[in-house]
Amino acid sequence: MYIDQELCKKCLDCIPVCPMGAIRLQKKIVTIDYETCVECGVCYRFEICPEGAIKQVDEIPYPRIIRAVFSDPVQRHEATGVQGRGTEEMKTNDVTNLFQRGKVGFSIELGRPVGGAYLRDLEKVLKKVTSMGVEFAGDNPVYHLITDHTTGALRPEILGEKVLSAIVEVLVPEQQAMDFIREMKRFLNSELDCVVTMSVISRADSEGGSRFMEQLRRHGESIYPNGKVNIGMALVGEES
Amino acid sequence: MTHTLNRRGLSEDRQGEEIIVLCMAHRGQKAEKAEAMQKIAETVLKYKPENVIGRPLGLNDETIETMAPMTGVVTAVFTNKKDVERLVDEIKQKRLGISVVLSGLFSDIRDICRCTGLKEHTYHMSLGIFGKTDRVPDEKTLEITTQCGHSLISPSLVEAVLKKMRKEKLSPEEGARMLVKPCACGIGNTKRIEKILREMV
Repeated sequence: MYIDQELCKKCLDCIPVCPMGAIRLQKKIVTIDYETCVECGVCYRFEICPEGAIKQVDEIPYPRIIRAVFSDPVQRHEATGVQGRGTEEMKTNDVTNLFQRGKVGFSIELGRPVGGAYLRDLEKVLKKVTSMGVEFAGDNPVYHLITDHTTGALRPEILGEKVLSAIVEVLVPEQQAMDFIREMKRFLNSELDCVVTMSVISRADSEGGSRFMEQLRRHGESIYPNGKVNIGMALVGEES
Repeated sequence: MTHTLNRRGLSEDRQGEEIIVLCMAHRGQKAEKAEAMQKIAETVLKYKPENVIGRPLGLNDETIETMAPMTGVVTAVFTNKKDVERLVDEIKQKRLGISVVLSGLFSDIRDICRCTGLKEHTYHMSLGIFGKTDRVPDEKTLEITTQCGHSLISPSLVEAVLKKMRKEKLSPEEGARMLVKPCACGIGNTKRIEKILREMV
């Protein structure tokens, strides 16, 4: 993204729109800070500028293009064919059965709900979970950025790229899940230079309840009263 | 799209305040489910959601229906539990083989499942925010900004809207409409944002 200085009337209305705070008034010129911008495209789509001064470059070069792919929800991830953060996670679990009973899925999302994240922090998480011997959910764009699956290392040239968010998805045996949570909380709070959310995906029991949610509460985890539930609709036709 | 998972401010005291419906064709089945996705979009729109995918980009209902088979996803915000019950039941009767995810209070989702004869299949639960939490804005701002799952609603935009409201240059309704605009997925709840803005101003 950039601002066409010939068109900009310096009304400053675009400044608060940027979720990264990348649009700034510097030396009486409104500019987009190239380093802070994650190419999410909000300033452009928002149509905040009546002069049309906010513009997209014709082509974003590699590795910077990774910023757009991981930050602009309108972009599709080539590796998975999914828009947004590029993963269907539990949303189609009634079709994929990726998350089965006995295993708990973890989504560790860097950069959310605010601030974005550098991929060097993503690599730290990938190296940590790789060292813990967990299973990766393969159908995830982050997985395709890993160059060395024995260490979790990413391509070196992308480590300095910043994205709005990126999700690490792993599967952990249910009996190890509480230990995983404890260790990851310690790690995320001490090792990362960004905000991160952690969430769990768990298959319901045969009556539709969540045994794992009860387990989390017993261990003192403060679960939000709200969340997401796949209600098995894709299976309705099969049951008939 | 862990999109709606980390929304803040929902409470058991206000059941039915917000339920988000997501319908998705698995990417491996998108071509064969094209017609089903179009039917999904038609059905969802019939129940007049508060917000819907593509609407913040200025798409009308007809375009949203046309786009659904291509994107393979429809998201919509509802503020009436009975509407969601009827919608879920209608989708169930149509047997389209499309995945449906409900996002909201677990108790509301349970009620909808029981009412429609469905059972929860898979849960997704947030464990909270970690890392550099000192960078997280105040709770009320967070209640608004987390309404875009991709974090595209800027805390600065919330502040700018409040500033205009204080100067009476913007009504709460206009402010809410402005704040849901960055979220292309259409999961911002204008009604709830309006209420939060009134509390904040």
